[in-house]
Amino acid sequence: MADLSIQVRDAGAASVVQPSGFINAHTVRQFESALESLVQEGRYTILLNCRELSYISSAGLGAIMGLIETVRENQGDILLCNLQDNVFAIFDTLGFTQLYRVYPCEEDALASLAEKA
Amino acid sequence: MAAQMDKRIERLSKPEKSDFRLTIPSQTRYLNLVTGLAKRASLVAGMDDATAAKVSIAVDEAVTNIILHAYGGEEDHTVELDLRFTGKALEIHMWHTGLGIRGDQIVLPDPKEYVKHPRKGGLGLLLMSRFMDEVRFGEEHGRSECCMIKTIA
Repeated sequence: MADLSIQVRDAGAASVVQPSGFINAHTVRQFESALESLVQEGRYTILLNCRELSYISSAGLGAIMGLIETVRENQGDILLCNLQDNVFAIFDTLGFTQLYRVYPCEEDALASLAEKA
Repeated sequence: MAAQMDKRIERLSKPEKSDFRLTIPSQTRYLNLVTGLAKRASLVAGMDDATAAKVSIAVDEAVTNIILHAYGGEEDHTVELDLRFTGKALEIHMWHTGLGIRGDQIVLPDPKEYVKHPRKGGLGLLLMSRFMDEVRFGEEHGRSECCMIKTIA
C-alpha cells in the first residue's frame, strides 16, 4: 500500500479531497499539491473527507493552514468530516476545531454548504 | 566522577534488557516505521489505543524536527531511538549529531493566538508537549538528545 493516495472529486460547489494513508513530512508535498491545484483552478470550497486518513502530523496541518486565508478571501472554506479519533485529537488539541467546521460525515457537510448557498 | 562517566557511556552503548534500540537514516521515508514502532511499544507498555496514537504522533514530530531542522534535511546522517520501559513509564530517547536545541530556547506557540493568526509551522513542539508528560532536550558526549516520557496511567 502506498504511504498516501489522494482522491479528488467534485460535489456541487465543493471539491472533496479524500486522503488515504498518512500525512507527515514525507507525504505532505503530495497533499499540499492536491490542495494547491484546486485553489489554482478556482475551487475555493474544499471538504477534507478524513475517513481513510490514519494520521496527520503538524506538516499536514501546516499545509491546510497555508491555504485557509486564500480560500476564505475568495468566499470559500476548508471543511472537515469523518475524522478518526486520533486525527480529531490532533485538531482539537491545537484548537483547530474552532477554526474549521467539522462534520460527522460527508453528507452533513455537503448539506450544510447547500443550506448556506 | 570517572566511574560515573564510564557507567553512563556503558549505559549509552549497551541497552538494558527492557530497552529497544533502532537507528534510522535521517530520511523522512522512515517516519512511518518509527511511528509504528512507537505505537506498538506504547501498547506493549500498557497504554490504550488513543494514548499510543498520541505517543506515535509525538515521535513523528520529534524525529521530523531532527531530520529537517537539526540535520537541515541532509539524508546521510542517522537518528538513534532508544525506547526504555521502566514499568511506570515509556521513555523515548532520540539521539543525533545535528544542530541541538536547548530547552530554554523553546517558545511554544499559544494555540489561541495561533487560531487567531494562522500561519504555517510551529506546531510540532506543541503537539509533543501536549501529548507527552515530559519533553526535554540535552547534549551528551557530542550528541544531542530529545527525550520524551509518557507515564503509564
